[in-house]
Amino acid sequence: MIRFFAVLTTIAGLLGAPLSGASEEPRVVTADGAITETVYRLGAGSLLVGVDTTSSYPLATDDLPKVGYLRALPFEGVLALKPDMLITSEKAAPQENLERLSRAGVKVEKLPSAMTPEAAMQRIERVGQLLGRSEEADGLTRDLRADIKKTQALASKRGFRPKVLFILAAGNHSVMLAGKGTAAEALLDSVGADNAVSGIMGYKPANREAILASRPDAIVVAESTPGQFNAEDWPGVMRLAAWQSGHRLVADGMLLLGFGPRLPQAMAELNQVLPVSSSVAANDS
Amino acid sequence: MIRDAAGRLRLGPSVGLMTCAAVIAAITSITIGAYPLAVADIASVFLGRDAADPVASMVLIEVRLPRFLLGFLVGAVLAVSGAILQGLFRNPLADPGLIGVSAGASLAAIAVIVLGSTWLGGWLAFAGEWALPVAAFVGGSGTVLLAWRIANRAGQTSVATLLLAGIAINAVAGAATGLLTFYATDEELRSLTFWTMGSLGHATWRDLLVGAPFMILALVATPWLIRPLDAFLMGESVVGHLGYRTDTVKKVAIVVVGLGVGAAVAVSGLIGFVGLVVPHLVRQLLGASHRVVLPLSALLGGTLLVAADSVARVVVSPAELPIGLMMALIGGPFFLALLLRTKVI
Repeated sequence: MIRFFAVLTTIAGLLGAPLSGASEEPRVVTADGAITETVYRLGAGSLLVGVDTTSSYPLATDDLPKVGYLRALPFEGVLALKPDMLITSEKAAPQENLERLSRAGVKVEKLPSAMTPEAAMQRIERVGQLLGRSEEADGLTRDLRADIKKTQALASKRGFRPKVLFILAAGNHSVMLAGKGTAAEALLDSVGADNAVSGIMGYKPANREAILASRPDAIVVAESTPGQFNAEDWPGVMRLAAWQSGHRLVADGMLLLGFGPRLPQAMAELNQVLPVSSSVAANDS
Repeated sequence: MIRDAAGRLRLGPSVGLMTCAAVIAAITSITIGAYPLAVADIASVFLGRDAADPVASMVLIEVRLPRFLLGFLVGAVLAVSGAILQGLFRNPLADPGLIGVSAGASLAAIAVIVLGSTWLGGWLAFAGEWALPVAAFVGGSGTVLLAWRIANRAGQTSVATLLLAGIAINAVAGAATGLLTFYATDEELRSLTFWTMGSLGHATWRDLLVGAPFMILALVATPWLIRPLDAFLMGESVVGHLGYRTDTVKKVAIVVVGLGVGAAVAVSGLIGFVGLVVPHLVRQLLGASHRVVLPLSALLGGTLLVAADSVARVVVSPAELPIGLMMALIGGPFFLALLLRTKVI
C-alpha cells in the first residue's frame, strides 16, 4: 500500500514538475521575425506560445500558433494565448489593441527597429533582459560583434565604396528595387557599400532600363521564398557585368533585411561578393 | 402559413424570424471569440459581479461589446444606404460604392496614412488619433457633394449624370489611391492593404463615439424617405404628383448616404456586398415596398455583418480574417445563387 502511494506521488511529481516549472517562466508572444529569431538564439524558444506571420525562421516557428501580421495584431487572438509578455517592434499595430492588451495585464514591449549593426546588438541585449537571459544575450552579442568587426575590417581594406544593386523579389515577376531609407541600404552601408540606385524612396517596382543604367559593382537579390528569383526572367540583370562576373548574392530576405542575430552572417556573405576594385564597372563601359 | 398568395413571405413571421436571427447573432458575437470565456464569467460581468477571470470584463466590455455595436451599426447603415440608392436610381446594381462615396472616404483615409509624415503632418498633429476617421468622413461627404454639384444643373438633378459622375469619381479616386500606394513605403503599404479589406478588429468605444452619431443620424432620417422612394419606383413624375419635391428627396437621400457611408468607412474600412446583397434579399423575400425594405435591410444588414465578423474572428484563430474579405466570400456566392434562382434582378 505504501509503495502504491509512493508510486502515485512519484507520478504526480513527474507530472507536476514540468508544469510548475513552466509557470515560473514567462509565456511570450513575439511579433517580428528578427525578435523571434533572437528569442530562439538565446535558447528561450520554449517560452514562446505564439508568433506573428513575419516569424518564419527558425523552422520551429511552424509549430507555434500564428497571431496574424504584426501590423494587424488581434486583441483576443493574442490574449487567448495567455501571454505574460508581447515583444514586438515599433511597427506593431493597431495601437488600440496594444493598449488594451497592456491593460489586460500583458506586458507589451515595443522595441525600436534596428538599422545599424550596433542597434541590432542592443536589441538582442534588450530581448535578453526582458526574458531574464541577459548573460546569454551578452555572450551572443560579444561573438556577433566580433564577427561584425572582422567583416568590417575586411571591408575597410577595399579602397572604394562599391555600388550595389539591391533587388527585392517578392512574387511572380514582381521585382522591386531598394531605395533610400530601407534596411537594404542600411545593410550595404554596414559593409561600406552604396546603393547603385539613387532617387527612390523605399522599395519601388523595378524599371528594367534603370537596372541597366545603374551599372552596379555587385548585385544582391533578397527573396521572400527560396528560389523565387529567376534570373532568366530578367535578362537585364543577367546582362550586367557584375552578374556575369559572379559578384552576386541571392539570399533569403529575412536573413538579409531582418537585422537580427543573423546580421553578421548576412554582412559576411554580402562582403564576400563585393569586388576588391571597381574594375567591373570600368570593363563594362 | 408563412407565404401569402403571391408566394412572398408573410411580413409578421419574417420580421419575427429576422429578429430572432439578430438576437442569436448578437449573443454569438458577444460570447464567442479567440479568448475563451466561461458562461458564468459572462453572466457575472453583465450582472455587475466579479468574474473569476480578471480580464473577462475587459474582453466583454472593452472589446466585444463595442465591436458588436459597431458591426451592427455599420452593417445596418451600409444595407440601408444600398437600399436608398437602389430606390433612388431605380437601378438594382446601385451600391454605396457606385457614386464614389466609399472610394472618396477611403482615398482620404489612405492619404492620411501615406502623407501623414509629410504633407499632412500638420493635420495629423492637429487631429491626433481622430485624423484618420475624420478624414474618411470628410472624404466621403465631400465626394457626395462633388457628385451632387456635377449632377445638379439649373436646379435640376439628373440621376443619370450623377451615376456617370460617380463612375468618373471612382476612377479618379482609384487612380489617386494607386498613386499614393506607389509613393507609400513598404510598411505603409501593408497597413493600407489591411485597411482596404475592412476590419472591426480594433473597434473601440472611441470609434463608436466618432462614427455612431453620424450613422444613427442617417438611420433616423431614413423613415422620411419611405414614401417618396416608393413613389420613385413608379417614376420620377409620380413623386411630384404625390406632393414631394423630387429635388428635396434626392438631396435628403444623398446626404443620408454620404453621412452614413462616410462614417462607416471611417471606422471599419471598406466592407462591400452588404449594401448590394441585403436589400435584394429583403425585396426577394418580402416585396419592394420601402416600408419593408428600409427597416428590414437595417436589421438584416446589421445581423449579417455581426455574424460574418463572428466567423472572421474564430475561423483562423488566434489570427483574424479581414471582415471585408469575409463579406465578399459570403456575399459573392450568395448573390450568384440568388441570381440563378430568380433569373432576373
